[in-house]
Amino acid sequence: MRSILTKFNWFALAGGATTILLIAVSLVYPWWQLKVGDDIMTVNASPISMNLGFLDTSFTIPFIWALNMISIFSLLASGITMLIYSVIPRKSYSKHLLGFGYKKPLFTVLFFVIGLVATTMICQAVLSLNIPLMGSTTSTLPIPFVSGITLTVLLSAGFQWSFWLAIVAAGLCIAARLYHTRVVPSPSATPAK
Amino acid sequence: MDKVRLLLTLVTIAIVVVPLVGMVLAYQDNLVGLFVPPEMTEMADDFMGGEGTDGSGLEPPTMVGEPEYNPATRTFSISFQFKNSFPIDITIKSLTGNIECDEHRFHLGVASLSKPVSIDAGETGTLTVLGTWTKEAIDHFENLHGDEELVDAVLLDFAVDLSGIQLEMDQGQMEQAIQVPNPALME
Repeated sequence: MRSILTKFNWFALAGGATTILLIAVSLVYPWWQLKVGDDIMTVNASPISMNLGFLDTSFTIPFIWALNMISIFSLLASGITMLIYSVIPRKSYSKHLLGFGYKKPLFTVLFFVIGLVATTMICQAVLSLNIPLMGSTTSTLPIPFVSGITLTVLLSAGFQWSFWLAIVAAGLCIAARLYHTRVVPSPSATPAK
Repeated sequence: MDKVRLLLTLVTIAIVVVPLVGMVLAYQDNLVGLFVPPEMTEMADDFMGGEGTDGSGLEPPTMVGEPEYNPATRTFSISFQFKNSFPIDITIKSLTGNIECDEHRFHLGVASLSKPVSIDAGETGTLTVLGTWTKEAIDHFENLHGDEELVDAVLLDFAVDLSGIQLEMDQGQMEQAIQVPNPALME
């Protein structure tokens, strides 16, 4: 029983599979969503796919699309290497596979959250536009070249379930790194014969 | 082992470089388009340079039909036709404003939209505005417009809820000229 548990890195197997599932899910469900007014404008954000929806029209910013591609390929490579590593954790090159794969979901989540917080802070500082990360608020929008008119909108934002799936994937990959020491004990920890 | 490490490093570099370089090469003739897609600028142009008479995509509403007045409740109703010159369907959920006598700039009462109105892009819809005269307004009509059947007034200080977006216009920003039936002659 113990040999089955330590023959494979089960956390890496689960982490790799969850990471690949996360890519597929995030193409459809955003990690974070912002709605303006009665769905007049919607911002669907995730490292995998980001678009701005204005009523029935959807915009994709080419530069952001390129960043999305980087995230997709990066997470895909991470998921695949974690799956390969999970079945051969004791090979000489396995630790390189693990090192390559386990950090990427965590960094993706961290960069996404930092980017989101930075964007809302920049909007607050430059446009005086208060965008909530979670929950609803009314905010006054500046209208360029027009004075005497106040534009107030209801902004509703929140993290979606796919974001929590990303955190689970990142957690499983970190657990895989910690479990690696159980699968492949360091030479100093091996009892002398 | 070193080959694996080298391969993984090359994969990491390729993952980052290829999409960025590919996108920059694709937009090398229009680097602004890399950050602002052409569809976005087209839509912004549609909004800023709409079909409105002032070029802003907004046309003032035109009064239609005869205003109605109920002396018992001191309430009146006025209908307007409003052309939605925006390239999108809109719902006017609420509209409130003050009514002043055009000649004496005397506050006569407040007006609000009777019910929400949805107007498709480019179409014209009818807005019915309900208002109530204040007691002072009735005195004003009696004392200063006693012989006029219709009195010139203005609807101003609008607050409009357009599909969840609230627009408030400061004093004097936009005035809608209206003619109201003189309540002093209808009691």
